[in-house]
Amino acid sequence: MKNKNILLLKALLLSTSRVNLYRYCKDKKKRKKIVGGFIGVGLLYLMLMAYCVAMCIGYGEYGLAGSMPGMCATMISALAFIFTFIKTNGYLFNFKEYDMLMSLPFKSSSVAACKFMYMYINSMPWYASISVSMLIGYGIYVKPAIYVYPLWIVLSLFLPLIPMLIASFLGFLIARIGSGFRHKTLIQTILTILLVLLIFAARFLIEDVFRNDKVEEIIEVTSGAMDSVSDIYLPAGWFSNAVNDLGKSDILLLVGVSILLFTVVFLLVGRSYRSINSKLKSHAASKNFRMKAQKKNSVVKAVAFKEFKRMTGSTVYMTNGILGMVLATIAGVVALVFGYDKISEVMLKATPEGISVIRPAIPFAAYFLVGMYSTTTSTPSLEGKNYWIVQSLPIEKKKLYQGKMLFNMCLSVPFMIFTILCFCITTHTPVIESALYLVLGIAMCAFSTAWGCVCGVKHIRLDWENEVEVIKQSSAVAIYMFPNMFAGMALGTLAVVLGMKVEHNLITLGFLLLVGVLAALSYRKVMRLSKKEIF
Amino acid sequence: MENKVILEIKNYSKTYGEGKKAADNVSLKVMSGDIYGFIGHNGAGKSTTIRAVVGVLDFEEGEILIDGHSVKKEPMECKKVTAYIPDNPDLYESLTGIQYLNFIADVFEIGTKEREESIKKYADAFEITESLGDTINSYSHGMKQKLAIISALIHDPKLLVLDEPFVGLDPKASFILKGIMRDMCSKGTAIFFSTHVLDVAEKLCNKVAMIKKGRIIASGTMDELTEGHSLEEAFLEVESEK
Repeated sequence: MKNKNILLLKALLLSTSRVNLYRYCKDKKKRKKIVGGFIGVGLLYLMLMAYCVAMCIGYGEYGLAGSMPGMCATMISALAFIFTFIKTNGYLFNFKEYDMLMSLPFKSSSVAACKFMYMYINSMPWYASISVSMLIGYGIYVKPAIYVYPLWIVLSLFLPLIPMLIASFLGFLIARIGSGFRHKTLIQTILTILLVLLIFAARFLIEDVFRNDKVEEIIEVTSGAMDSVSDIYLPAGWFSNAVNDLGKSDILLLVGVSILLFTVVFLLVGRSYRSINSKLKSHAASKNFRMKAQKKNSVVKAVAFKEFKRMTGSTVYMTNGILGMVLATIAGVVALVFGYDKISEVMLKATPEGISVIRPAIPFAAYFLVGMYSTTTSTPSLEGKNYWIVQSLPIEKKKLYQGKMLFNMCLSVPFMIFTILCFCITTHTPVIESALYLVLGIAMCAFSTAWGCVCGVKHIRLDWENEVEVIKQSSAVAIYMFPNMFAGMALGTLAVVLGMKVEHNLITLGFLLLVGVLAALSYRKVMRLSKKEIF
Repeated sequence: MENKVILEIKNYSKTYGEGKKAADNVSLKVMSGDIYGFIGHNGAGKSTTIRAVVGVLDFEEGEILIDGHSVKKEPMECKKVTAYIPDNPDLYESLTGIQYLNFIADVFEIGTKEREESIKKYADAFEITESLGDTINSYSHGMKQKLAIISALIHDPKLLVLDEPFVGLDPKASFILKGIMRDMCSKGTAIFFSTHVLDVAEKLCNKVAMIKKGRIIASGTMDELTEGHSLEEAFLEVESEK
């Protein structure tokens, strides 16, 4: 008889497997899209591997090859923690097929554990990309004994487990607290964002500790940093010792603690799994509606309002959608309260540059956070099973997309204005220069909205099982997010460099023209796509 | 009242995957004032035809005209006069009932007074007025079905298309819906709906089409098809012959 947990895990994997879809799909167009998706994700894995290899070369050349295992463990652990934390609500809790699964003869703890393993296996290619590429680097520079290779591979399979379990447990606590409130989504979103902010704060504190080591040389700082990470985060140290020194106790600790923690967490989660999910899935009905005067809206506004309600109805979507904006607001307030000199001293550990030098980067710094995610990348796909509504109603695709874009503009522009204003005040930016930065910021919001919509419509996916698939993991989001972040940073740096030689207002006008043209082109592309049959 | 062709399906075919025809050369006409039943086994091609009529499903062969407009070439003109209620309505779960109805009313550009009257009339009839302030995710299946029906009725469509409309409705709601369908039909609305419940079809419809393996195997007025027998008997007889 087959193990029931394996059967469940297999079913979960198959239900969202694109390989399975490709295998049984007869539609050539769909098959091409699936292959395109594979290529896109494959390129991202390659990019990650290239980054890891480059890092290994740097480490190797500076004689820090011994720190590679620690770095590998840290990277995998950090990625595993982040990936799991943002997915817990949606995968582990409050998922669509909960009723069906719980009606089958599975223990609550088994369902939760299988869901966890599903997340683990799905994210494994990311961790494997890091592990394999860093093993290659380690092999080249350290030339370890042959048995180190399989040991590295096997132990690196255990590396994501502990951070994933910690993230799941935190997600479980948030779900448990949130489930007790009437406004569950809002409470869960606030708690999630607070925790993310705490992690950011902790990261700065840890960096601060490293920087106060008074070690001047960068090599020593890096080496010291890796040692400190291994001291603070024990599994990284266990992995490092196991690979570098073949520490048997370290091997046992890494494997043993991972398995023990897995058992303990799922015993605890299993106990209240049913009650948490029941509370999360139940919705209060007041049944006290009295008919009042209704308001008429344009189609575009009606769609934008629908988008607003869609966002506020989902913890995953809301967390993703507003995280950058919350960070931007905090950055703005911190800049206002502490002032530029203090911030550059604490954050950069460097003598503050002349305020005027960094001013041209203000809109780009704000955009880095506000434009991190655009709701338009996900909303076309989020129609999902509701697509029959917009498809059978007399809504022109043009107006549908305009409504989706209007919502993202309403969401991002106020935060962009607030952040830029805070930065301008703290850097004593002249009024006209500030006004130009504001206009550039709004133009960047327009670009982010329209470009996001191009990505969202071009890579639309309606057949998702869990909204996390289109909010966090879709090709549309990846294609929008990574180039956008890098281009934003590059343009910000370029603005600072140019600002040392050219008048700031002139540079801003130049960028305004560039961004304006890109936004207009993206908008035109969206309008063109609206004429095609995409659904 | 002048009888006008509201829905005309001409040689419509839909092929899935490797040549499997879900609908094969389907042709029928629904006139204003008709209540046209579309019956057949599970997987016979009813939903595939209905979804093509309302513009949800793309198709390659044939032509579908609504009020003289082509579904393929003038989809917006067709959708403006059509209302559709799917068998299992997935609605926008995070909207409240009233927000969803206002969304639909905004799309059909219905004035405030008109929409208020319509919403009140139908929500009272289906006894869900008090729940309109709650989000749709708190609704039962039947309540969602009722909300989908109200949203389809508030813009006074020329063609009402329903896919298994009585599934999930309580007896009272089914009775009310049948009354509304008769009322709309007397005012000239054309109604085209699929059903498994042959008793309901027999009592409600003036015309019926039977579909099997994607092909229409019989169609006509109720009297022509039943010839004094029950619809169930007629259906089983025709179905076994073809």
